[in-house]
Amino acid sequence: MGNELSSLVVIFTEFYYWLTVVLMFLIHIGFCMYEVGASRYRNHMHTLMKNTMLIPLVTVTFFFFGWWIYFAFVNGPGIIGGLVSAPWATPWSELMGAHMGGSAVQATLTADDTAYWARINGVFWAAFLLFSWTAASIVSGAVIERIRPSAFWLLAILIGSVTWIIDAAWGWSWNGWMVQILGYHDAYASGVIHAVAGGFALGVLVVLGPRIGKFAADGTPRNINPHNPWLVTIGLFLIYTGFWGFYVACNIPIIDVYGAAMLDIADKSYFSATNIYLQPTSLSAITLNFLMSLSGGLMAGYIVSKGDAFWTYSGGLAGVIGASAGNDLYHPIQAMLIAAVVVFIIYKMHFWVERRFKIDDAVGAVAVHGYAGFLGVVIAGFMLWGYPSSPFEGYATISPWGQFIGAIIMFFVLGFIPAWILSKILQARGLLRIPREIEMAGLDINTIVENEEEARVVREAIRNEA
Amino acid sequence: MATGMVENWANVDVTGPIYPFVGSEVLLVVLGLAFWIGWHIIQMKEESSELENDVDKISQSGGIGEYLDKHS
Repeated sequence: MGNELSSLVVIFTEFYYWLTVVLMFLIHIGFCMYEVGASRYRNHMHTLMKNTMLIPLVTVTFFFFGWWIYFAFVNGPGIIGGLVSAPWATPWSELMGAHMGGSAVQATLTADDTAYWARINGVFWAAFLLFSWTAASIVSGAVIERIRPSAFWLLAILIGSVTWIIDAAWGWSWNGWMVQILGYHDAYASGVIHAVAGGFALGVLVVLGPRIGKFAADGTPRNINPHNPWLVTIGLFLIYTGFWGFYVACNIPIIDVYGAAMLDIADKSYFSATNIYLQPTSLSAITLNFLMSLSGGLMAGYIVSKGDAFWTYSGGLAGVIGASAGNDLYHPIQAMLIAAVVVFIIYKMHFWVERRFKIDDAVGAVAVHGYAGFLGVVIAGFMLWGYPSSPFEGYATISPWGQFIGAIIMFFVLGFIPAWILSKILQARGLLRIPREIEMAGLDINTIVENEEEARVVREAIRNEA
Repeated sequence: MATGMVENWANVDVTGPIYPFVGSEVLLVVLGLAFWIGWHIIQMKEESSELENDVDKISQSGGIGEYLDKHS
């Protein structure tokens, strides 16, 4: 912070990530509105609190271990190497608190650590944390009206502070083993957030089972329509808005691409925004592709659902998710067409899976996030075949097989399987699902009875005074 | 008496941590973990008790059919 220009870069970067956090907060407001709108009257309060309380629980656990996992697990550990030391990210690190970047007190920290992380650590941590909330929140909508909140919160911590951040270490960091070995490319998190969260939701749903009344005796699914479709659509609009923050948070705002630590090209400088893999991109490129993939998704969603508002809005979201893996490099029309194809497929898959396997995904989260994210990663393998996955020498190039293996790791290995295992454990202990009578009566049974009683007392008082 | 390492702002270019009680970080983590795990234990007990009471309430009101008729 010794001269104006370097200070400006540091403080601009700090402010940039801080701003993404504020924008991404809107994703969570959107999810709360969307989920409450999708739930029925007798479940509103519990639905809201289930989603709200994942915020503090994922936050504190991401502080205690999630952030450290991101840096420590890039090699697996045990796949291409051991645990990596990350003394700035441990919960007891002095760099996890207010710090001016000068002399370190803790012996494990170097002067470079303090100079680099003092002002960036908190905002970078928070940007990743907001991704964690998103991953957990995606699961939350799928399981409404029958999961025990305590069980959901344990599952939320598992995906928000453990499994998604492991996949980020593996496939969404400049030195993750998936990037090095598979050439995995997922610039705006089709797989690392959406496929993993969709797969996780499916793993929970398989064990949890459908809501009572969702399927007729012959297995025919019944529609359980949103209580408030307007709240659902405004919620989805807010998620779109927050998605801008999500996209820019996936970038590093300003860096010398020719810098010694990356390409080691002497006597040249090229300052640019980069994606998380340190490959150059621009806000302009991702803005074009975000809007064109949103448009492609909305248009396909409208046609395939015959103008249904819920699926049109969800189509917009799924369109962006389907193009996100390669939205740093695609042409905008490619992004639009990919989004449209993905939305058509995921819409059909949602209803096929519902009928065939009796999966009750109350908000279509598995389709909109899981299938769209999976497809997005795979399509990027074909579209970006042969592109370098990194500025570093020796990394595998992007390929269909690398992306396909990556999509399997995201959806099944770190999504479906951990969720299924924890759900089975909770189910065996009788902690996963609420009692049948309460599900029939609605989770807000206490509030409803109390409200009715209080209203009756007031009514009687008014009558007595009349 | 001073709880922090900051005596003035004249040497901010070489200043490290500015929060109070530097050196207590491990203890803080232990307290934080206890608060987090304790929250889950208390919440799970309260939730189980609430669910049991709700089931009792429904059965005392004549079963789920009666309850739904009365509160629909």
